[in-house]
Amino acid sequence: MDSASRYLSLGKPNRADHLWRYTSWKKVHPTGDILEMPPLGQPELSLSMIDGSEPPSGIKLEQGIEGDPDFSMDNALTNAFLDASAKSSEWTLVVDKRFSPGKPVILEIRTGDSPSVAHISLDIGEISEFELITKVTGRSEWFGLLRTGQIRNGAIMNDVVLGLQEKGTLLRSDAIAIGRDAQVRAGTVSSGSERTKSDLRYIMGDRGGNIRVLGSILSADSMHIDHHIEIHHEAPETFSRLSWHSACSGSSRTIGTGMLTIRKGSKGADAAQVFHNLLLSESAEADSIPELEVMENDVVGCGHGTANGPIDEEQMFYLNARGFDEDGAKRSLIAAFLNSTLSEMGGAELHAWLVNELNLKLEALNM
Amino acid sequence: MAKNNDAREAVGEYKAGWHDPENSTIRFDFGLSEEVVREISNLKNEPEWMTEIRVRAFKHFMRRPMPTWGNMSMLEEIDFDNICYFLRSSDSTKNNWDDVPDDIRNTFERLGIPEAEQKWLSGVTAQYESETVYHSIREDLEKQGVIFLDMDSGLREHPEMVKKWFCSVVPFADNKFSALNTAVWSGGSFIYVPEGVHVEMPVQAYFRINAKNMGQFERTLIIADKGSSIHYIEGCTAPTYSTDSLHSAVVELIALPGSHIRYSTIQNWSSNVYNLVTKRGIAHEKSKIEWVDGNIGSKLTMKYPSVILKGEGSHAEVISVAYSGEGQHQDAGAKIHHLASNTTSKILSKSISKNGGRGSYRGMVTVSPKADNCKLNVVCDALILDEGSRSDTYPTMEVANSTARCEHEASVSKVSDEQLFYLMSRGHSENESLAMIVNGFFEPFTRELPMEYAVELNQLMALEMEGSIG
Repeated sequence: MDSASRYLSLGKPNRADHLWRYTSWKKVHPTGDILEMPPLGQPELSLSMIDGSEPPSGIKLEQGIEGDPDFSMDNALTNAFLDASAKSSEWTLVVDKRFSPGKPVILEIRTGDSPSVAHISLDIGEISEFELITKVTGRSEWFGLLRTGQIRNGAIMNDVVLGLQEKGTLLRSDAIAIGRDAQVRAGTVSSGSERTKSDLRYIMGDRGGNIRVLGSILSADSMHIDHHIEIHHEAPETFSRLSWHSACSGSSRTIGTGMLTIRKGSKGADAAQVFHNLLLSESAEADSIPELEVMENDVVGCGHGTANGPIDEEQMFYLNARGFDEDGAKRSLIAAFLNSTLSEMGGAELHAWLVNELNLKLEALNM
Repeated sequence: MAKNNDAREAVGEYKAGWHDPENSTIRFDFGLSEEVVREISNLKNEPEWMTEIRVRAFKHFMRRPMPTWGNMSMLEEIDFDNICYFLRSSDSTKNNWDDVPDDIRNTFERLGIPEAEQKWLSGVTAQYESETVYHSIREDLEKQGVIFLDMDSGLREHPEMVKKWFCSVVPFADNKFSALNTAVWSGGSFIYVPEGVHVEMPVQAYFRINAKNMGQFERTLIIADKGSSIHYIEGCTAPTYSTDSLHSAVVELIALPGSHIRYSTIQNWSSNVYNLVTKRGIAHEKSKIEWVDGNIGSKLTMKYPSVILKGEGSHAEVISVAYSGEGQHQDAGAKIHHLASNTTSKILSKSISKNGGRGSYRGMVTVSPKADNCKLNVVCDALILDEGSRSDTYPTMEVANSTARCEHEASVSKVSDEQLFYLMSRGHSENESLAMIVNGFFEPFTRELPMEYAVELNQLMALEMEGSIG
């Protein structure tokens, strides 16, 4: 069955499922008619180094994807829809074995002005070591991003996706397999798009895989930002940490739902997830569902936590006492809150670049 | 001898797994229909409005699909056509144990209820199958105006009060099983504590299923008037059969301003009982509702005691433990809704899975936009004792007020080798050490129970832990 037939055979998703509890499929579908598969445009993609120079050999963006992605573990609906919609908009990011450029690489995706979609397959070579920033910009009313593929054995990769669209809806789905002893930091920085529905899934199918999933989410006005993150431990001695920070202002709503599973046989697995929400206005709302399913008793530990609260009055007082005005103190505390996950997403150069982008966004949102 | 061993193996160490010969005065045929619902109401000579609610609830139950979450495969196994929805074992409720039929009295004596009543309870109600067979309350409480009746008598003697509060906290359309309960409810407790009265010693209800393929659907309604307090304890057991029984209760608590209700449960159904229960309370200004909930038995439990914090300054606590053994799924949790300002809540959940059992915490906490300065804390801890067992946590937190301070933390782990080594190096066997660790793990729960219950629970857990190692 091809992806389009698979999608159409699935029907309307169940709202009792946490994945669709807060954001209905209809609301993030390009037309709202879930039986429709409208034609979608192709965004522009370009690869460069963080300083604007050409990327070195060892990393290239090729049009097309070899074979069909394996979605057996994943959210069938979103993936089937995106996969079917992006048949003429497929790329593979090929990274050679032992590739190590020394500087972050930027993959810029310009969505254009009309609805578009892209499917990017990651083919990250063994023992490579690099940082990738995927930056999404544009004025499109709707953009779909499907990322699949694998980070192969021993690779060390900092993988940050930065959503900076000016408006519209972002539908994102990741289904990425983590290889043996691979070390991955998967960061999401979201401060654009009016509506985001994101479903990120990482499969730890080989021994010794290590992943830190990090989120810095800034929502304002009437934004609706819904992230669902799943990490599946299916091999011994796998390690994961999920740390998700959301700052919500205006009448925006952020949703963070997580699922950690430890399959039987994943001895020595170590997993934890934390959602922190900073509520900045009376009508903002933050929802969290950090779920755990543990089917192996011989684990190092599995835990989760979530905390919601306003800006700490003592911290505000401390900054006011040192000459910050109300707005300056508030902005500094929001920036510090978001920076605690941002700073873990990569090295100094990547971090400085992200901070700069986020500061611009804070200014643009008048926060 | 071999036969005895087989029987013992089937029953396990479940101490309440015996059954009496069935001596019913009225027994309905298996299956549910509008006629059954009307007949139950007719037998009880109920007012018209109650019959109407029952019938509406029955129609809702028939229309409503099964839940599409939780352990759906186990739920699908329930055969609603193979359940007896009403069985009367005694012609009337007695207030003297000597008047209760011998076999039923013997059962409750084996369960230790009359003895506990003498020593440390203010009142007791004992339900056997569908109806209450024994009921008593201390005279001094009766003089103070405390009403403690079985629910059927409550409806007969205080119809206006029941009409006012029945279904006010748990509407029949709340879920499929609350609809079922409202349609065929029988028994349960009705309690009213007048303004300013403190019931110092707990009152207890004990629920016993004896017959095969039995459905027990008790309904409990507790109203604590302004400034009053009460502690209600319920216990439940059933014989072990190879076919399944269904227990689907609804409990409604109303804590009026300044009152305090504590509701403690030790659920120890046999492993062939589906335990699908809806428990909810409404807390008015400065009142307090506590659910202390122990789930040891049953095949599948789905129970999420809830509190709606409606009045400013009200407080809710849910402390629960769950033990899941072979073939068991304890899907338990808590729900708290902060609707008013300055409300606080605390959830503490502990679970242990062993011998392939599955323990799930499923919780929900919400803070509404108008509820300022709320504080809530949720802690879930789970122990998985062996391979093949499983623990899940599904917490939901919805916060729509920026002044709320909300915390949730959970951990899943195994018994640490260091703790075992420490205790064994001081002369305890492995099983003793494990039982001590498990009792320590459950201690935040047991310390909230009356001492007699805590001792019993500790012994029960020690028994369950036998053979866990080696």
